[in-house]
Amino acid sequence: MKVAVIGLDCAAPDLIFNKLKGELPNLSMMASRGISGKLRSCDPPITVPAWMVMATGRTPGELGLYGFRSRIPNSYNGIKIPTSQDIKFETVWEILGRRNKRSIIIAVPPSYPPKPLPGLLVTDFLTPDKDKEFTYPPGLKNEIMKDFPDYQFDVKFRKPEKRKIIEEIYRMTDTRFRMAEKMAMEKEWDFFFMVEIGIDRIHHSFWRYIDESSHLYEDDPEMREKFISYFRMVDSHIGKLLDCFDDDTVVLVVSDHGAKSMKGAFAINQWLIKEGYLKLRSGFPKQGSSLDELDIDWSGSKAWAWGGYYARVFLNVKGREPEGIIERGKVREELDILKKKIKEIRGPNGEEWKTKVFEPEEVYKVVNGDRSDLFVYLDDLSWRAAGTLGYDSDYLLENDTGPDDAVHDYDGIYILYRKNREIGRVIDSSIYRIAPTILALYKVRKMYGIQGKPLEGVEYVE
Amino acid sequence: MATDKKYTTVSLPTPLFEKIQEKIKGTGFTSVSDYVTFVLREILAHGSDQEAFNSEDEKKVKDRLRSLGYLD
Repeated sequence: MKVAVIGLDCAAPDLIFNKLKGELPNLSMMASRGISGKLRSCDPPITVPAWMVMATGRTPGELGLYGFRSRIPNSYNGIKIPTSQDIKFETVWEILGRRNKRSIIIAVPPSYPPKPLPGLLVTDFLTPDKDKEFTYPPGLKNEIMKDFPDYQFDVKFRKPEKRKIIEEIYRMTDTRFRMAEKMAMEKEWDFFFMVEIGIDRIHHSFWRYIDESSHLYEDDPEMREKFISYFRMVDSHIGKLLDCFDDDTVVLVVSDHGAKSMKGAFAINQWLIKEGYLKLRSGFPKQGSSLDELDIDWSGSKAWAWGGYYARVFLNVKGREPEGIIERGKVREELDILKKKIKEIRGPNGEEWKTKVFEPEEVYKVVNGDRSDLFVYLDDLSWRAAGTLGYDSDYLLENDTGPDDAVHDYDGIYILYRKNREIGRVIDSSIYRIAPTILALYKVRKMYGIQGKPLEGVEYVE
Repeated sequence: MATDKKYTTVSLPTPLFEKIQEKIKGTGFTSVSDYVTFVLREILAHGSDQEAFNSEDEKKVKDRLRSLGYLD
């Protein structure tokens, strides 16, 4: 038996299982015959760390990965982009490798720089560019460049050309799937795991054409059709991949998190200034300034934040940060006050928000690496956090940087499918069950400290 | 591993050994060991300059992530 994981970054249950169901014959067939449902992501529900949670079965706390940047310990704004070298736990393909299983791994983040494995690996969208070594073994790169010279890791989003970028995302995804199909067909493998990032890019940039409940909704039949035809293309490639797999291959289609309409961006550092937590030496900054461009009076600041799809709030603690002012003995008290204040933030029209605020220790048993003191999901993730400042209002209806249609949602999807098995069950599940499922299918009994259980009903595909 | 020996033995599946033997016929390689040593050194050398991002690489990735709304 083989296992093939097809990762669709950001694929959302309502879109795949409901709204676009009739447009996606392969995914719909797999869902109706296999076991499918919502897949609750990790906290935070963000691409990095979520794919590695899936690949290792570990929590973001264990991995010490809390997003696309890690803080250089104790610095104010020193950041580091995670690489494959930051993954300190074994991935399922490494565990399987020790059991003489060969893997094909494509674009699972973060996998740059490529680590050796028994099998083949193509690195992810955090690869700087194609001049780098992006495959293992190194020679695989030549094959890819020859067969797929247009291969792209990711797209770069440029706001003025927004409508054009959909074609670029389409080409990127189409090329990656064609490469994956060729590898699945021609190479020797026992385990296959690919991730397609294009779905996430499409959601963030073009959600307004598909979600009538969004305040940004635009009734634009041409863009709506482009959005849907992108998904038809993905679905038809999934059909082609199924044709490349043997009949005894168990297929898992998964996503790392879902998506929902973005209501706006909240300028959290501006708010911290107003609340007296953050002090600038200079006057009111120009619109869109980031903290590292500004002269901050750290010796008079108690807290600052990073933006993104969730906000990370750091306290300025004496003996920890270079110019920390909160005494260690006062941290607990300060955290409780700040948590309460953040929870009380209301929307632009005074409406109540369902903001969630927590300390990493409240969600993870183990907390490794440099993490923020607070994780903040503004209005339950519907509002993203803008770290930049200099705006007339704290409430920005457009994003401060990048695309602005969709934010992340907790639930992604999964479909567990095996040809010729008629199961037809819907069971919602958790991202922590994916690594244990893969290991269980290969009869790996030793779980190496991985806590989760296999997906319910896995025995039906064994 | 402390040893005075300059060479040591690794095992290869016999069919692979025979394949290599065939492949190096008429080339400058005088033995399977020579060829295998050469190939392994090449592969290891490829990995060694891959420590992580240099500052230019990191900038490229950060710019892309920023444009996608992940930073700030």
